[in-house]
Amino acid sequence: MEFSEHIKTANVEDVVLQQPLHPPSKGTLCITSHHLLFSDREERSGRQVLLLLRNIDAVEKRATESSGTLVIKCKDLRVLQLEIPGMEQCLNIAQSIETLSCLDCVAEMYPFFYRPSNASLRDQWGLSTPERHYTEMEALHGRWRLSTVNQDYSVCPSYPPAVIVPKAIGDDALKKAAKFRQGGRFPVLCYYHRKNGTVILRSSQPLAGANRKRCIQDELLLQAAIEGSDKGYIIDTRSAQQAQQARMMGGGFESKSCYSGWKRLHRHMERGKTLQESLIKLVEACGDKSPNMDRWLSKLENSKWLSHVQTALSTAGLLAECVERDGRSVLVHGSEGTGSTLLISTLAQLIMDPSCRTLEGFLTLLEREFVQAGHPFQQRCSHSAFSHARLQQECPVFLLLLDCVWQLWYQFPLALGFSEALLLRLATEAYSSDYGTFLCNSDMERCALQVKGKTHCLFRVLLKPREREQYTNPLYEPNELAIWPSVHPQSLQLWRGFFLRWTQQTHHLELVQEDIRNMVIEWGKLALS
Amino acid sequence: MASPVSVYNSNVLDAHISSTSRESLKMELLADVTLLPGEERIIDKDIIYICPFSGAVKGKVLITNYRLYFKSCDADVAVTLDVPLGAISRVEKMGGVSSRGENSYGLDITCKDMRNLRFALKQEGHSRRDIFELLFKHAFPISHGLPLFAYVTQEKYEENGWSVYRPVEELRRQGLPNNKWRITFINKNYELCDTYPAVLAVPFKCKEEDLRRVSSFRSRGRIPVLSWIHRENRAAIARCSQPLVGMSGKRNKDDERYLDLIRDANDTAKLTIYDARPNVNAVANKATGGGYEGDEYHNAELVFLDIHNIHVMRESLKKLKDIVYPNVEESHWLSSLESTHWLEHIKLVLSGAIQVADKVSSGNSVVVHCSDGWDRTAQLTSLAMLMLDSHYRTLKGLQVLIEKEWISFGHKFTSVRNFTCVRPECRSGCLLGFAKNTAVCVCVCACARACVCLIVLVRVQRIGHGDKNHADQDRSPIFVQFMDCVWQMSKQFPTAFEFNERLLLTILEHLYSCRFGTFLYNCESAREQNALRQKTVSLWSLVNSKTELYLNPFYTPESGRVLYPVASMRHLELWVTYYIRWNPRIRQQQSPVEQRYLELLALRDEYIKKLEELRLSDSSRLADDGPGGDTSSPSPASSPTRQQHYTHLQTPF
Repeated sequence: MEFSEHIKTANVEDVVLQQPLHPPSKGTLCITSHHLLFSDREERSGRQVLLLLRNIDAVEKRATESSGTLVIKCKDLRVLQLEIPGMEQCLNIAQSIETLSCLDCVAEMYPFFYRPSNASLRDQWGLSTPERHYTEMEALHGRWRLSTVNQDYSVCPSYPPAVIVPKAIGDDALKKAAKFRQGGRFPVLCYYHRKNGTVILRSSQPLAGANRKRCIQDELLLQAAIEGSDKGYIIDTRSAQQAQQARMMGGGFESKSCYSGWKRLHRHMERGKTLQESLIKLVEACGDKSPNMDRWLSKLENSKWLSHVQTALSTAGLLAECVERDGRSVLVHGSEGTGSTLLISTLAQLIMDPSCRTLEGFLTLLEREFVQAGHPFQQRCSHSAFSHARLQQECPVFLLLLDCVWQLWYQFPLALGFSEALLLRLATEAYSSDYGTFLCNSDMERCALQVKGKTHCLFRVLLKPREREQYTNPLYEPNELAIWPSVHPQSLQLWRGFFLRWTQQTHHLELVQEDIRNMVIEWGKLALS
Repeated sequence: MASPVSVYNSNVLDAHISSTSRESLKMELLADVTLLPGEERIIDKDIIYICPFSGAVKGKVLITNYRLYFKSCDADVAVTLDVPLGAISRVEKMGGVSSRGENSYGLDITCKDMRNLRFALKQEGHSRRDIFELLFKHAFPISHGLPLFAYVTQEKYEENGWSVYRPVEELRRQGLPNNKWRITFINKNYELCDTYPAVLAVPFKCKEEDLRRVSSFRSRGRIPVLSWIHRENRAAIARCSQPLVGMSGKRNKDDERYLDLIRDANDTAKLTIYDARPNVNAVANKATGGGYEGDEYHNAELVFLDIHNIHVMRESLKKLKDIVYPNVEESHWLSSLESTHWLEHIKLVLSGAIQVADKVSSGNSVVVHCSDGWDRTAQLTSLAMLMLDSHYRTLKGLQVLIEKEWISFGHKFTSVRNFTCVRPECRSGCLLGFAKNTAVCVCVCACARACVCLIVLVRVQRIGHGDKNHADQDRSPIFVQFMDCVWQMSKQFPTAFEFNERLLLTILEHLYSCRFGTFLYNCESAREQNALRQKTVSLWSLVNSKTELYLNPFYTPESGRVLYPVASMRHLELWVTYYIRWNPRIRQQQSPVEQRYLELLALRDEYIKKLEELRLSDSSRLADDGPGGDTSSPSPASSPTRQQHYTHLQTPF
């Protein structure tokens, strides 16, 4: 495809831009294949606004005879307004934005064109691999092995090429077990708890169906995972009723009789459309410009966003409690095993494992548990809260995860090695990015498109010295203990830093956080020199 | 550092709590209580505390002349209570000898600090009689002819908190007297106004007899006087009570002229009068002889700020308590919070203060009043001053602000309980507690020249079992609300305040504790009469003897900056660490954070010391170079001061 086909008007003069936190300014608007560029006409201000078209969630146009106004609503929740002289030019621009912001073809997206001068495509991509993860955890090696049964992605298209499974189970058995799990996501190990040797496994739902089909290899696999220890728990992120209903559609759950070593717990977590609609309602309430805000708290409550945060944190807490306090191994799944499953296994690891709480540890955790584990970023993050397009597979699971991590950060100001700024950056990058990290839906797709060879890696960049300094928590103190979040509604706060990000007050607080960080760094440099 | 939080629906997880009580431990339970100097043990007893969070907990209670202390004897359910008796507003017997049901016989204690306590005792042998009587006696000492603990304590501190606030010194700091404002001692015997301090600042041109005539036209003689003046533009904040306009629309030329003098002192065209009340309430006040300034006040504009009165605030706080104690509302928390209107009131108070501050910083003088000028007025003036003057944002400055705008200007700390006594001549009294059908009331007669304390026993009429309502009137939400507003500001400006949250919590704790003299009595005259400064210790002695506990390590002084907080519901938060502090499941991680802050303070001090050393070695090196040295190098005299070390990190705003 030629991008230029979609650009009828590339340049417009005398455009007035209004954006949050800045006074309106007049200048030149330029549209390119991937960006909207606005240059302030005033020489001395020299201000430019460069916006990735991918960041644009919705464009609203209001045209009069001589000019038009575009309201541009971004996925990072910024709302810009452009006044463009000439109706035709305005419509052309709108048209271009609408087309170019929703390119379906991944290979045409900006990360494939982004070539910063200080980085090379030959730089290492990613922070870790399943192989390295396995090698590092020597305590595992007695009973667990690294299987490459999925090296050509034929067993499970959404899994990475290598996964950790019980030593006693051979690759053939894995293939059979995969056939019994939705999308081939057979149970694999995702976390090993050093303190007591218990593990967290994750998978998708078993395809028991209405006839209560069984799969002996799947049963053996799970049995082997807890061989010689107490009963394990299965945390199903659906309600018991939902799980029953899933059987009618060919899915299901692990029955007591076939999986006698395991005890099932159901925790109902909202998913898909419900979550997306909740986000839309919340963002709508946050953007309400009416001066009369006396219904604000009700609106916040009605969006139900905070109750989703609560459910996620408390289910993750339950999981961590089983592992840390009760010393039981746990299998987590919902239906597909790529959304709420990953959400709570990630949060539980953050709660229990101090090594996940450093900047590097946290990014590695996200890479392993979301990117490599096959969270379909492209489907889930193609639109955010403003889009008028019909909802398809959008769902803000990753945003919900970041919000939950922020709640942990807020409740335990010393326990996490990274700052709110990092969470904000990730929340933006997941929806539109210069980097290839959040492209595609799985490792297989990324491999096919050579993402690792043709784009740059966000996580690597975040760990470069200058960026790293920006994203560290100055108050951080390593702490070996688990951090148990309080999940009462009174303890949960709206993540103002994200949802009210483009207000003066939040902006001011961001700057203050930065000041505090610089202050502490400077004290440390001199006082400890 | 893991908090004892376990709130997941963990029905599958057995709690392995052994219930074996450890007898040996039991004996020494109370051994580790550290009593204050002057504090004496009154009684201790085996008792069951009906904990709203852990259920019935066996333990021992100790009552001293200062506190009620409880410790559980079961080490697995570690529950400790440490309640200053001053925080108790009501003690009642619960159940009778013949009451059925487990733990139905005991004591019910209502506190002013957002909690209630319930204890159960053995039903046989009148086991609660002695403890009830002793607790009742010592929790309400005045009604039993006993001194308040503040008069008994033998605590000694390095610092003397009573010297924190000196009225004349504070006025001098603001640049007074000048050619427009003077300091007057007309009220030195509290004759002009019994609830005002002795030292007042008034317009220069105003004569003493004018002040007397004005005082006859202002409710309780509370004439407009200066609270604060802007150093550069000379705009002033003056405070007073409502004018006594009444139904007939009385006028007072002297009052009109006086307000015009305030305007004139700053030479602006218009004086803005902020009436804190809603318009309707101000009109309604005419019926009782009050009112507001009408058109007869030339060159003045009147603005109503719509802040509700103390009764509305008390109801709001009561509603808030209902949803946070003992059980926190779970399912509809936010809408329940909204229906208390507490945050909305906070918003109105803040936005009122913002208007005042904005007017003053743009160069216009203002007069602030409500009805009596000691509740909403104090909130508005003190918050506006906090926004305008960075001095009040320091540790000592906040103390001065509270001493000045609240304590010296007659906020009714003691009788904010606002109980209407049945004795007709008693205009406002304070309820101290109940015994059987009798309310114990200390009457503070506003009609008397000075506050005379009487002890009256009144039969509670037609209240009978419904006495619960009275218990909830025992709080002073106005000052709490002010502290809440300060907290909201400190959240919005994390580097602008020298003090930390702990200071605010400590102040609120001792608002009720009666351990310090600071918040005793309603006005300066009563304090003098009771030799408060000589006989009691100031709360600021405690604070200033251990300042590092109350300091914010990230404080960055910025002297000229006016802080305008955002008074929007979206940016206000419930002060969970205060209002829900008794709930162990909600409590956030205070102690490790405080510990870390102490470390950071030490690190900051080390940094400043090193910086100083570097500078000294630099300057000595320069001195060694001799007179022929490079003259363009900075001289030691121009080296930055300690203050500038922080300010180079100023927030660009």
